[in-house]
Amino acid sequence: MITERKDKGYINIIDTTLRNGEQTAGVVFSKHEKIRIAKLLDEVGIPEIEIGTPSLGPAEREIIKEIIASKPNCKLFTYCEADPANIAYAVECGIKNIIINISTSDLHLKVKYGKTRTWALNQLRETISEAKSNGLDFIVSAEDATRTDLEFLLKMINIAQKKGAYRFRICDTVSRLDPFRTFLYINTILNTIAFPIEVYNHNDFGMATANAMAAVRAGASSLVTSVNGLGEGTGNAALEEIVMALKYLEEVDLGMATSKFRELSEYVAKASARAIPVCKAIVGTNVFAHESGIHADGVLKNPRNYEVFEPGEVGLTRQIVVGKHSGSHTILHKFKEFEIDLTDKEANDILAMARSMSVDLKRPLFDKELMYIYKDYQENKQMEV
Amino acid sequence: MRGLEVLTEFSKKAGAKLEPKKIKIDDTTLRDGEQTAGVVFANDEKIHIARMLDKIGVHQIEAGIPAMGGDEKDAIKAIASLNLNCSILGWNRAVRSDIDDSIECGVDAVAISISSSDIHIEHKLRKSREWVLDSVKTSVDYAKGYNLYVSVNAEDASRSDMEFLLQFARTAKEMGADRLRYCDTLGILDPFETFMRVKTIIDIIGIDVEMHTHNDFGMAIANAIAGVKAGATYINTTINGLGERAGNASFEEFVMALKHLENVDLGIDTHLFREISEYVATASGRFIPAWKPIVGANLFLYESEIRATNVMKDSSTFELFGPEDVGLERKIILGKYSGVNTVLSKLNLLGYKATPKEAEEIADIIRAKSIAMKRSLYDSEIAETYVSFKGGDKHGKKQNSKEV
Repeated sequence: MITERKDKGYINIIDTTLRNGEQTAGVVFSKHEKIRIAKLLDEVGIPEIEIGTPSLGPAEREIIKEIIASKPNCKLFTYCEADPANIAYAVECGIKNIIINISTSDLHLKVKYGKTRTWALNQLRETISEAKSNGLDFIVSAEDATRTDLEFLLKMINIAQKKGAYRFRICDTVSRLDPFRTFLYINTILNTIAFPIEVYNHNDFGMATANAMAAVRAGASSLVTSVNGLGEGTGNAALEEIVMALKYLEEVDLGMATSKFRELSEYVAKASARAIPVCKAIVGTNVFAHESGIHADGVLKNPRNYEVFEPGEVGLTRQIVVGKHSGSHTILHKFKEFEIDLTDKEANDILAMARSMSVDLKRPLFDKELMYIYKDYQENKQMEV
Repeated sequence: MRGLEVLTEFSKKAGAKLEPKKIKIDDTTLRDGEQTAGVVFANDEKIHIARMLDKIGVHQIEAGIPAMGGDEKDAIKAIASLNLNCSILGWNRAVRSDIDDSIECGVDAVAISISSSDIHIEHKLRKSREWVLDSVKTSVDYAKGYNLYVSVNAEDASRSDMEFLLQFARTAKEMGADRLRYCDTLGILDPFETFMRVKTIIDIIGIDVEMHTHNDFGMAIANAIAGVKAGATYINTTINGLGERAGNASFEEFVMALKHLENVDLGIDTHLFREISEYVATASGRFIPAWKPIVGANLFLYESEIRATNVMKDSSTFELFGPEDVGLERKIILGKYSGVNTVLSKLNLLGYKATPKEAEEIADIIRAKSIAMKRSLYDSEIAETYVSFKGGDKHGKKQNSKEV
């Protein structure tokens, strides 16, 4: 690869399935589900997770307390809007680490708070003071950072740095950036201030993962993800895409238990009542399904023809599907699985029958249906004889 | 560091203004979309989709694979005879008999596809590079003899040796091919690699390039955009991103990304997006995820206090385009993340009055219900909550409400 990153070091992942994921319109996790998801994320090896928003109410705080009590290996964070009054809720939960979020764009300052930039700087300072006096450690998060005046954003980062934040989170709240702009933006910031940058992407134009990777190349050291990309609007950068893209496109292997990805995705899909699309990158059941003559034949000859990694690596299995686009090699292979050796002529005849049946049914065929075709074919042949 | 400098240079070059008139959509919903494992369109559906694509304003439709014969051939013939505004293209292997089938269907353009990577040449085709170049020569020559527009598809281009790929592109150009389709068959490129490679081909060979990207690592759109920034002029898209494995670059995402991030309007009628997406979803038996970029049903649904209240004040706080642009609607829903202001607005929309103090209490009840039911509330449930809170007192309802 010609375009190498500056530093092929470790990239931190902070997963927000339990916070921004649940914040998705219509999604509610039960206590039991939240605790289970935290456990699964921990088992996969996610280093940091956001577990909720304490200011939401007593029910949310109870869940947060239980997750903390389960003592996972990963570092736990809760989330709050920059307001000194919110710190007490976090303290009540017994959390050690928090994210302090504040909008930084002039548009948000005006519409969301009806306030000035000066107010925002003070609000951040005061919230940080309150957090620190309660012994909390924190990340500073800038909402709508990508529509924020750069000078002002740098001031915010400066405060975060001086007050001892872990790092600074840049939120592309409305998906304003493409990968090239992301790169230039993060690179410019890092050229000005040497402070760890984390990026938080949304997927409004389908570029969340690409933007996160571009940020990594520019030197960002931490990424915010969610399982299945669950999140408000179009959602966030999907955990499973980020981890696999880091591994296969950026050569950064975080050593996670990726073979649990499908299980984790299925659990979150059920709990959020958002089915995993079969075509979902990395974990969709269709990702390793091959039907067309060219692809299926190619995969049967050598999986590397059409696959970058083995399905087992993400907890999936390879499927060869017989349908309208199948070729005769697929038929030969399928029947070998049934321990039937077809001649080339038989395979071609059965292929024609299978294709026509698939067009008729508007779907691929089950293995049973293939066997029925085979039986019909045999019977017809005997009648001809 | 060299790496960072190179990336900075790419990123700056990629920021150059694009020429909208040069960028064309070649939609392959009917070919690569249908090739998806498990998807079969009926011929009537194919014809309907072709009509919709033409109406919405795509420039070329990849209608199918004539060499498959039977129903497939009938559908392509029917589409070619619709006299649509857009060009109709048939997909072919680099084989004369395939091209004969395309000609028989009456298409005006053909894609001639052959692998250019050594992995595919050795393990799939089981041939040599020379054989590949010969096949390109003879098949392009043959197709041009019939005055067809010819796209030469370099399958698995992204795993091909660059020197050979250039030779491949040069051969295609010399034989009169109109463009080269750069296929990231496995979806393994990132935008920076895409930009560099596509730019290299265009700079050295000077042939029109089309991007065919896959979404295996979630980068189909970003790579398609990167290709355009490097000078590619055609983009191979599919409705809903339908396509093999994780799918292709989604038509609606690509068009909107160009429009709202690059300021390039392709003149596509975006209002029809939701309609065409729904049709293809039904025909392919693949539902549209509620969170699908551009056309997902939930994209303009707001529950959390901050988003809901601010979007109502000024939608640009959380939206770069409005729901009406893509055939969707904006809606406020109430659930676990709703706050008092959202509850007040929602009650107001439903025609109910409440004081801020009452709204606070109603918000508590609604959040508790949402947690208990593990979902947001229907409008009718919100109404019930309100009415029972008021002790069944219907007078709480506004006098001018339509529902009275």
